[in-house]
Amino acid sequence: MPELEINNRVVSFKKGQTILEVAEKNGINIPTLCYLAGAAPTGRCRICLVQVEGSDRLLTACDTPAGEGMKILTDSPTVRNARKTNIEMLIASGAHNCLIMDQSSKNWTENQSKIMGQPWHNIMCPSYGDCRLQDLAIEYGVRADDLELNYEGHPLDDATPMIVRDFSRCIGCGRCIQACNEIQVNRAIPEPYGPRKDHSQGWYPLVDYDYCTHCGQCVQVCPTGALFEKKAFGKAAANEIKKVRTTCPYCGVGCQLWLHVKDNKIIRVSGVENAEPNHGRLCVKGRFGYDFIHSGERLTSPLIREKDGFREASWDEALDLVANRFKDIIKKHGPDAVAGVSCARSINEDSYQMQKLFRSVFGTNNIDHCART
Amino acid sequence: MELPFLNTWEKGDSIVNTANSVISGQLSKKSLKSLMGWGGVMIWDRNIDPVDMLYAYLMRVASESCGECTPCRLGTVRLCMVMERIVGGKGRKSDLKLIKNLVSHISATGKCDIGRTISKPVLDILDAYEETFIEVIEKKRQVKKGEYAHVITAPCINACPSHLDIPGYIENIRMGNWEKAMEIVRKDCPMPGTIGRVCVRPCESACRRGLLDEPISIRALKRFLADCEMNGVIKTESPPQGVQKQKVAVIGAGPAGISCAYYLARRGYPCTIFEAQEGPGGMAAYGIPSYRLPRNVIAHEVNVLEKLGVEIRYGVNVGKDITMEEIASRGYESVFVGVGAPDSSKMRCEGEDAGYRCFLTGVHFLSESARGRKPAEGKKLVVIGGGNVAMDCVRTARRLGFEDVNLLYRRTEAEMPADPQEIREAKEEGIKFHHLVAPVEILAENDTVAGIKCLRMELGEPDSSGRRRPVPVEGSEFVIECDVIIPAIGQVCVVDCVLPEEDVLTSWKTLIVDQTTFQSDRQQIFGGGDCVTGPQTLIGALAAGKNAARFISQYLQQGGCKPELSDLILSLASAEGVYDPGESFPYPGITEREEPSVLEPEIRVNGFDEVESCLTPSRARVESDRCLRCYRLLMSAI
Repeated sequence: MPELEINNRVVSFKKGQTILEVAEKNGINIPTLCYLAGAAPTGRCRICLVQVEGSDRLLTACDTPAGEGMKILTDSPTVRNARKTNIEMLIASGAHNCLIMDQSSKNWTENQSKIMGQPWHNIMCPSYGDCRLQDLAIEYGVRADDLELNYEGHPLDDATPMIVRDFSRCIGCGRCIQACNEIQVNRAIPEPYGPRKDHSQGWYPLVDYDYCTHCGQCVQVCPTGALFEKKAFGKAAANEIKKVRTTCPYCGVGCQLWLHVKDNKIIRVSGVENAEPNHGRLCVKGRFGYDFIHSGERLTSPLIREKDGFREASWDEALDLVANRFKDIIKKHGPDAVAGVSCARSINEDSYQMQKLFRSVFGTNNIDHCART
Repeated sequence: MELPFLNTWEKGDSIVNTANSVISGQLSKKSLKSLMGWGGVMIWDRNIDPVDMLYAYLMRVASESCGECTPCRLGTVRLCMVMERIVGGKGRKSDLKLIKNLVSHISATGKCDIGRTISKPVLDILDAYEETFIEVIEKKRQVKKGEYAHVITAPCINACPSHLDIPGYIENIRMGNWEKAMEIVRKDCPMPGTIGRVCVRPCESACRRGLLDEPISIRALKRFLADCEMNGVIKTESPPQGVQKQKVAVIGAGPAGISCAYYLARRGYPCTIFEAQEGPGGMAAYGIPSYRLPRNVIAHEVNVLEKLGVEIRYGVNVGKDITMEEIASRGYESVFVGVGAPDSSKMRCEGEDAGYRCFLTGVHFLSESARGRKPAEGKKLVVIGGGNVAMDCVRTARRLGFEDVNLLYRRTEAEMPADPQEIREAKEEGIKFHHLVAPVEILAENDTVAGIKCLRMELGEPDSSGRRRPVPVEGSEFVIECDVIIPAIGQVCVVDCVLPEEDVLTSWKTLIVDQTTFQSDRQQIFGGGDCVTGPQTLIGALAAGKNAARFISQYLQQGGCKPELSDLILSLASAEGVYDPGESFPYPGITEREEPSVLEPEIRVNGFDEVESCLTPSRARVESDRCLRCYRLLMSAI
């Protein structure tokens, strides 16, 4: 197997692997920002830069193939400086006020009021504490006071029910474009690039709503607070969230979910990366269809229909009524005269019990579930 | 032209030499005041304010930045901000260091060559004029505003005679913007389906990706777009811009004529093409067999041309049916001559002028076959020559049913000018190649070809073309018995048939025109393509037609032709040689080029079905992703 050196350590690799893949395999961390597992690397953000002996340029680990005998440094002062310069420019180009305390008091009020005056900026950034850019800024010691901020005139798209696209925090990494085109293959976010002279409005990943399914995959992969969920806005800070893993009940695929929970309420839902069967992908129902759980319109006691309306009843009365009617029908017409459809909004365990009831107790196979798709 | 007083460009001397040879009387020697680009900075005119020039350069770099990578997208804007405050009298002492750091950073970490090539010229100018910059910053001196022109080039763009924006359309294929990509192609190439099939693709030989692994399939990508347009998948209609009154006549509906008429029509000029044949396309239609270039491709391209309002009159032989004077008297204020090189060169071989049956030129053979006729009968056929026309002849003969098809070439395969792909495909089709053989005499019985007497050759010293000269081996004469002989060793021009005035023609019957403006000594007559250069490439003819259209328009509007500074900058870029074959990469190349699939040899020899197919959208997307986007910017003060 061919070999190369990373940080003076000899490691072997397979032809065709990228520098990033070789480093990861050997437990060497190279920071990334735009790199999105499952999509072709693009080398856009230039954060995963590494130094390769003999090259006067720094190379991006994510899309540079490993070569026999390469001598790579992943954390040299040159590399760290270059990464820091790029992080600084990214922060200066947008409405990233999370580092505001780092600024001298002279600029504080002006910048803060300028940013907070924008829509959706009246409270702290929705990804505060769960932001790749913020993590990098802290790791690389970026000081907001050193920056000349130049954020002006970014578009805002908050017209759809679930997602806010606040391009004042967009860093142009292109992950949303890849998530939409390569991961979900909805092709609703066209690549916006090309010479600046032809793109006077900038290169924002604007959505073509003719194709968008509102699956929210773009939100999940956004490394900053540019794309966020309307319903979750302002509900919880990252450190207040407890993540609970579960299986989506909506259909038979069995997608793995993270429920982001605060005070026993679901704040939002995301897909579990690196897990079968969905590898982080979710559809619009799995990600956004949880409002019914805490809906005030849910029944809190059984209702029995009488004449033109319903009357409240006790569980004992209601269950007796249903059980007796089922028994009568089965006695008269046999067990196949009844059928059951279980609801996807009930918990998975309930659906299991439902089929047990029909098969073992009633003695019929007439049982279905609305997720049998 | 004297040497510049500041020159940091390594190949500065060769640039000066080219400037001297290109600058004709029309372009003043003082018009080139400075040059700033990837190789460094050259300044001739002491009145140029380096601060203003740097600002102009960085503004242009920023406007070319594509938005993909962080350092170039944001860094170029920051550079412009810093320059803006310097020229606005608000510069800071630390700004020079900031600019140096930023350009070095952008060049070291940028994704494509727009960013990667800026540090040398910027650092050079800052070093050479440090005091001037400090003066502007500290004393807030007013900066002298100058005017600048620039060109965007790339190794592939520079290698293409028509300078197509290749990275531009490839990038748009990658992003799925096929219509935008086709618009870019049509800006410089009016026959994309033809060029996408039969171009000799100098661009691919100058593709930097080829130094890494394999060059981009540029031709196949262009064909992909052209087929999308032809099949109605994309619509690219560019209505004429403006309406002009002056009528222009174009002689010849070959590539040069079509190109000139297309770009004149897009400028709004009413054009009429006079064509001697019964259909359009010239050598592209009558010289290239349909298994390489199906007729419907040319038909589509001519259809686009006619939709722009161009009228084509077929069967009109200018010189016989109508004279140049008559054309002028019918109100055509300018004429473009694009009559090609339709006659065959002589082999200087005994018996070739005897008029034997079954002895016919390659051009004649191909044009007859293109018209659906079989121009000669027999079993064994011999073609003489080593170029693409010879390949077309043998492969056509195979398809017409000749059982034993032979090719004679007086040198070896290494010296053959034909496209290697053509040679390979001809061999696959069972063509017999006879190298180091030259014809001496055509043998006939009853005035019909019976055989060919040949001499064996060996290679001697290299000649002026750099190829080793074939030398006859004494006493090696032998005879090949055959039924048909087809010489395809080159073509010659016959402009004198159209334009009898000898003073505008060379002794080879080519038209003399200015190499930049395509204008002849008769100021209303322009010309381009093979009839000016002798047999050359199709893309060269299209480029000539396109450029001539621009200068014809200039002539009609302003009464004269004057090359623009950008023409000069382009020539200088060519001289500098944008492609560096010695370049090496610090990482291995592991990608493979997407090749269009081809029909199996045993199937394709049965007819004239197109051999090569079109890339699928997904393969075109994959291929386009391999482009390294080697754009460079070259700017000059006016």
